[in-house]
Amino acid sequence: MSILLNRETKVLVQGITGRVGRAQAKWMLEYGTNIVCGVTPGKKGEEVEGVPVYDTVAQAVAECGAEASVFFVPPAAVKDAARETIDAGVSLIVVVTEHVPVHDAMEIKDYARGRTVRLLGPTSPGIITPGQAKMGIMPGNMFHPGRIGVISRSGTLAYEVCSDLAAVGLGQSTAVGMGADPVPFTSLSELLALFDADPGTDLVIIVGEVGGTQEEHAADFIASQMTKPVVAYIAGHSVPEGKRMGHAGAIVQGDMGTTKSKISALQKAGVVVADYPLDVVQLVKDRLG
Amino acid sequence: MKLYEFEAGNFFRQEGIPVPDFVIADSPQATREAAEKIGAPVVIKAQVLTGGRGLAGGVQAADSPEQAEEIARQILKSSIRGFPVKRVMVVNKAEVAREFYLGVTIDGLAGCPVVILSTAGGVSIEETAKNHPEMVFSRQVSISAGLSLSDAEEITQQAGLTGEESTRIAGIFHSLYQVFRKYDAPIAEINPLVRTAKGEYLALDAKMEIDDSSLFRHSDLQIPSEDRIATPLEKKGRQIGVTYVELDGEVGIVSSGAGLGMAIMDIIGRRYRPANFLETGGGISEELLYQVMELVLQKKGLKAVFLNLLAGINPIHEGAKGIVRFLQEHPTDVPIVARVRGNRQEEIWQMLREAGVEAFTDAATEESVERLFRILERTK
Repeated sequence: MSILLNRETKVLVQGITGRVGRAQAKWMLEYGTNIVCGVTPGKKGEEVEGVPVYDTVAQAVAECGAEASVFFVPPAAVKDAARETIDAGVSLIVVVTEHVPVHDAMEIKDYARGRTVRLLGPTSPGIITPGQAKMGIMPGNMFHPGRIGVISRSGTLAYEVCSDLAAVGLGQSTAVGMGADPVPFTSLSELLALFDADPGTDLVIIVGEVGGTQEEHAADFIASQMTKPVVAYIAGHSVPEGKRMGHAGAIVQGDMGTTKSKISALQKAGVVVADYPLDVVQLVKDRLG
Repeated sequence: MKLYEFEAGNFFRQEGIPVPDFVIADSPQATREAAEKIGAPVVIKAQVLTGGRGLAGGVQAADSPEQAEEIARQILKSSIRGFPVKRVMVVNKAEVAREFYLGVTIDGLAGCPVVILSTAGGVSIEETAKNHPEMVFSRQVSISAGLSLSDAEEITQQAGLTGEESTRIAGIFHSLYQVFRKYDAPIAEINPLVRTAKGEYLALDAKMEIDDSSLFRHSDLQIPSEDRIATPLEKKGRQIGVTYVELDGEVGIVSSGAGLGMAIMDIIGRRYRPANFLETGGGISEELLYQVMELVLQKKGLKAVFLNLLAGINPIHEGAKGIVRFLQEHPTDVPIVARVRGNRQEEIWQMLREAGVEAFTDAATEESVERLFRILERTK
């Protein structure tokens, strides 16, 4: 089992004719993802890696039954593309694009409210259900099928933790990149709830980092509703105040966004928190018995 | 991008917010002339991209142009939280009857704007929220609906304001929300907004940032970004297209991802201090890593450089050529340690080793950092 994505999911790639979209479409297909079509305005009739390209998402849905879409579109085009995709009835949208204006992210989130669509990102490395399918840029060989759910703000750190797990034979049900922006479309708590309800997941790992209050808020959810064990690592113990650490959302402002605040909130909620990434492996083994 | 008070003040004024007339001066002499023009008493305010100016002596009143000159002489020589003061604002000193705080920012969890009014102005809103939560009134705003005048007035009335005061402040609140939207601001604040003894309403401070990711649609503003980056090395990082944050330590860091970069800081921090944070982003090329090596090695007092490169979407085999070329052209005594994993890793290890780099093949970053520690112990 898995959350949000499996080998049957009919995936659309937006921005498939661009350099990154083209290369990533190839990797996703090789991994086994059921990519049914691509969309780039003005490129209808082209093919990329044997995948038909359409002008609009509405066409892609009508012709190929696309139900999930991964975005490799430029930041300035993300807002309109998201609205078009939501209007076309696609139920999962993964925005890999970095540097989406935060006001646009708020408008997209507002537009999605009350509709049956789930968005991940912006700045999401993607989502992968190992052995089945991936939407995004995660290198497939760093993930393995298993029963651990992984939620990460960062791409590279998710790869690191998952390859550490692989070394002891542990794999993932699904690994989700929630993105590293100040306004993520889907919150950490919402993703925890999905894993909690998934019969294929025994434990969830949170790979967090400095900035925002997602982890603090998730701690409330974990304490009050979560039934499965949670292990966490939060990166950035000593980052200086007021500096953006590569991700738009990774910034400590005053007392807000520090690892100290996140770790203490999570620990109060019963989460075991690792000091360093590799320690996650032992903590997971302990919890799984 | 953070704005200086005078820049934010100009934008606020264009949107109809009552910002008092000011003059920007970059010398004691110019400050004196400004004070003569405006008429004493005046307030001299350091223009720096950080808070806490008042406590650091960066905001002072002067009763005469001579005193203004003297104060400017001190302030222009000083640094506030590490930011050297290059300019001061000279503004007429208002007689304050009452102070308020107005702010618009983003609620990251709810994913929408939030507007905040406090009847305690002049102190930080975080402090008021902690010590006097009953004086803070906030509400989330639907970004599609916006903040109407009547929404704003509901908040001012909730805060107990009445009559003209409620109407005037609601109007300013409404304008501040417009500024926030127009300039893609993560935050726009007036602290304090005052009612003067004469019954005028004035924004005595202006704080705003513009979202860096939105700058493509604000190119008309022509705000120079160069002078708001703290250090020369950080400036260089911006120029070559990487995130470089200068730190106090002795081990340079290069990471192909931001989260991983912060984790490396944590792990190295067990025994040593990072000299910098550097994230390459997804666009690694030979040229980029050549420039990255040049940048990282410029930092004084380095004992080693640790590179952590995961070859997923990034073509690390291309980047490695840049590292090799730089080291051939600029041999260094500083040990260079690289942990590389992913596509074409064997080829990359070989290439780096031939250039004198200690290339490690460990599955976990911690194992490579342990090896780095042993190298550092040997070279002590």
